Parts: sequence; structure tokens; C-alpha cells
Amino acid sequence: MAVEYDPALINKVFEVTDPVSVTREKIDKFCAAIGESNPLYTDDEAAKDGPYGGIVAPPSFAVMFRNGRHFFENVPRFGRRGFDAGKDVEFVAPIRPGDAITLSSHVKEIYEKTGRTGTMVFVVIRSTLKNQNNEVVAHIDHRFMNRP
Amino acid sequence: MKRFADINIGDTLGPSEQFVSKDNCRAFARAGGIEAPRFTDDEGARKEGLPGMILPGNMSLGLLSKLVTDWIGAEGGARLIRMSTTYRVPVQPDHKLTLHGFVTHSTPAERTAEIDVWIENEDAERLVTGTATVQFDS
Repeated sequence: MAVEYDPALINKVFEVTDPVSVTREKIDKFCAAIGESNPLYTDDEAAKDGPYGGIVAPPSFAVMFRNGRHFFENVPRFGRRGFDAGKDVEFVAPIRPGDAITLSSHVKEIYEKTGRTGTMVFVVIRSTLKNQNNEVVAHIDHRFMNRP
Repeated sequence: MKRFADINIGDTLGPSEQFVSKDNCRAFARAGGIEAPRFTDDEGARKEGLPGMILPGNMSLGLLSKLVTDWIGAEGGARLIRMSTTYRVPVQPDHKLTLHGFVTHSTPAERTAEIDVWIENEDAERLVTGTATVQFDS
């Protein structure tokens, strides 16, 4: 049986966050947490001569921007509590110290899948990250899995 | 500097052995403003039906992205443009993890290479799998 939901949910933008400042300290903490030592992300002098002309955040820093408090109130639920099943991230442009990032999210897709462990409903939320110049820096598709 | 012409199907990334401690895991959670107990304390995780603390999925994504950017190196010439991850089995801290990568496909017209990436535990079980796409300048 196909999963039932209100088709008006698809593509409906339900949140645009306030801008979040990117500081060197936040990038440093992220690098420390994953053991990052690449000079492009950690060394001002070396990064100045690198391809970005200065320090940038590691690409995966993009996933650290969170939706607002009310985000999950808008994500449709199907049965028991869902969990993070995976992400598809497109890194469009580097994120730099001094940037202010906003995140706009909508439901991209809802689908059902039956595997070894039974039926699962996936809700895919697409978040688009933009900087203060209104340039897209990343698209992130979050796949949330629910068990009906 | 990495160049597209130097890439071959079957080239490997890693294996890179990592020991992610509970403190590393907590540091990542703090860096991301994540407060869920499953990422910060064993007792809280057990209350959620987990065997103990687990790594945030985003941390696994970060580690796999680092595997790829380490392979690209600090000289540039290429950049990670896409990363897709699937969280198959919760990743527990305080265990040895091994990160692998394998070039599976290249597209000369776009100067891109696709790389299968994954995280294994001590039993060679694939906990997180993914695909990375790297684009080369030349």
C-alpha cells in the first residue's frame, strides 16, 4: 500500500533560518572534532597561497547548520520516531569565516520502501544554504526514515 | 597536485584507521550544537534503546569527506563537489574504525571521478557507506 500524505507538503518551504555567522573559532572547533589538519582549513599563511586565497571551512562543515527549533514540528511523521538514514550533499561554493549562512528547507520527497526489516517510509528534506551575498553554498538532502 | 589524467578506476583511498573516542564524539556534538543524549552519554543513549553512545551521522559524513579531501591534498587542483552517505549501522565511539575509498568511475567530459567510500568496524562490517564526487581543474 502506498504511503498516504498531503501532496501540498511537497516543495512547501516551511522554514528559512536567521543568518548564522561563520567564525574562525567555529571552523577550528569543527576541524578539531574530526581531526582535520589540512592547511587549507587550518593555517592562515598556507591557505593564503592556496586555491581559495584564504582559510575556508572543510566542505562537510556545511552539514553543521541546523534548522530552527520549529523545524521538526513541520516534518511529517509516519509511525514511530524517525532517524537519520543518510544525506546527499552538493558542495557548491566554499564557506568562509565572516560568512552569514541562512538555511531554507522544504519537503522534497516522501516514499516507501520495503526491506529485510520491513516497511520504511522515507521523508527527504532539502535544505539550501546561502551566504550573505545570496549565493548558494550547498544543497543538503536529509533522508529521515520512519517505521510505520 | 591531483590531475584528472592521473586518476585510474580502482585507485584506493586509505585505508585510514581512526580511533574516535567518546570525548571526540562529544566535541563534535558541541561544535554542532547537538544536545541529543545518544551523542553525549552512554546512559542517555541506553534509554533510547541503543547499546551506548553513537557518533552523529554528520560526524561520519565529516570523516568520510576528510578521507577524500586528504586524498586531494593541500595543493588543490580538485575539489569535493558531492558526498552521499547512508547510515546502515550506528557507529560507536571507542572502537577502531577503518575508512576506505575506491575510485569506481570517471567522466572525462566533466573531469569528475566517483569514489565509493565506507566506514568499517573491527569485524569488517560496513557501518556507513557513501559515494563522493571529485571534480578536477585539469
